[in-house]
Amino acid sequence: MSDDVHALIGAWVLDAVEDDERRRIEAHVLQCESCAREAAELREAVARLSDTVVAEPPPELRDRVLAGARGTRQDPAAAPRRPRPARRTRWRHPKLRLAIGAAALAVVAAFAGVFATWQVMRAPDEDGSQMTAVLEAPDANVAVQDAEGGGRVTVVYSAELDRAVVVVSGLADIGEDRSYQVWLVDAAGQVSAGVMDPGDSSATMLLDGLGDTEVVGLTSEPAGGSDQPTTPMIADLALPA
Amino acid sequence: MSAVVDTVSAESLLLRAGQGEDEAFAELYDLMAPRAYGICLRVLRDRAQAEEVAQEVLIEVWRTAARFDAQRGSALAWITTIAHRRAVDRVRSSQAAGDRERRAAAEADFTMDPVADAAARRIEHRQVRRCLKALTELQHRAVTLAYYGGYTYQQVAGLLDAAVPTVKSRIRDGLVKLRDCLEASR
Ligand SMILES: [Zn+2]
Repeated sequence: MSDDVHALIGAWVLDAVEDDERRRIEAHVLQCESCAREAAELREAVARLSDTVVAEPPPELRDRVLAGARGTRQDPAAAPRRPRPARRTRWRHPKLRLAIGAAALAVVAAFAGVFATWQVMRAPDEDGSQMTAVLEAPDANVAVQDAEGGGRVTVVYSAELDRAVVVVSGLADIGEDRSYQVWLVDAAGQVSAGVMDPGDSSATMLLDGLGDTEVVGLTSEPAGGSDQPTTPMIADLALPA
Repeated sequence: MSAVVDTVSAESLLLRAGQGEDEAFAELYDLMAPRAYGICLRVLRDRAQAEEVAQEVLIEVWRTAARFDAQRGSALAWITTIAHRRAVDRVRSSQAAGDRERRAAAEADFTMDPVADAAARRIEHRQVRRCLKALTELQHRAVTLAYYGGYTYQQVAGLLDAAVPTVKSRIRDGLVKLRDCLEASR
């Protein structure tokens, strides 16, 4: 797949790809230094294509934009990456921000510290509508945790829907012979919630039927996953009681 | 006005807007709104829709300004990327113009376009036209249909009656050539 992605960098920079390709490329570019550099350079050239289309906007647009800006709260700067002193899960009620509908996916991506990384692991949710429902649930809570070794795990949880969306992004490179695996942990032990493709370090998944789950955990396992965790959790987000 | 001066002030204005300075944002508007609107107009071919999308784009520029990182790209690229992406999203969801019209418009010679003509004295404009002419015919048509027409590479392949993998690589080669030419003419 990565050959395929490399060949699409030009088309992506021109916005000439379909949405699903766009997600794959964006996930790849986050992890691939050479593609990121090539894309940034090509983007500067593409920006210059706008030299030939400059056009005077209607004068009333200025007032509308400036008034719109005055009424629009600015997003905070991307948080600097730094090691987390102690592992602790903090839950926030992101209702106001999640209530903006279609933008909710982007909001979660921003919480994950990346612009967009949407590789759906097992595609239980073809069009994303079930994920969107979780993100927009009135009781949705979100927690973010830095993983050991790098990267971040974001969980958006709706008790009402008994579902959660997990966004894993930018984890440490583990090579093609290992996979990251997501676990649901409760008093009785842990069950696998899904195994990421070998070598992948970013993914998004929908968790259904959380039941008594207390913790969503993440480990590194031999490629293809294990029945039980064989290494310590590199992230463990406790669901709110 | 040279590209360098343009760029430097756009960067500092965007950085200041990211600190919440609305005067800087107003100046940034004056500098960049004609581009954002121009991109929307070219892709959408409809003034009312272009105005609507340009408004969304410029407010998004304000909202996300604090995330702009001058180490990773220019303010010009940041703003035009948002504008182009929004315009393309709109044209794909609304089919603002018939495909044939869009195709013809995307490929129209810039010199025939009164809007572009008004800016024809800009040195950057001449550079881009010259550099686009350095592309092979297929590279040139693929890049312009994708950028100005808002087509996907698969659609471009259909329009040009060319193989999809060929179009994919011509787009990339064409952009690399464009980049090299623009860098050489600085
Ligand atoms: Zn790559």
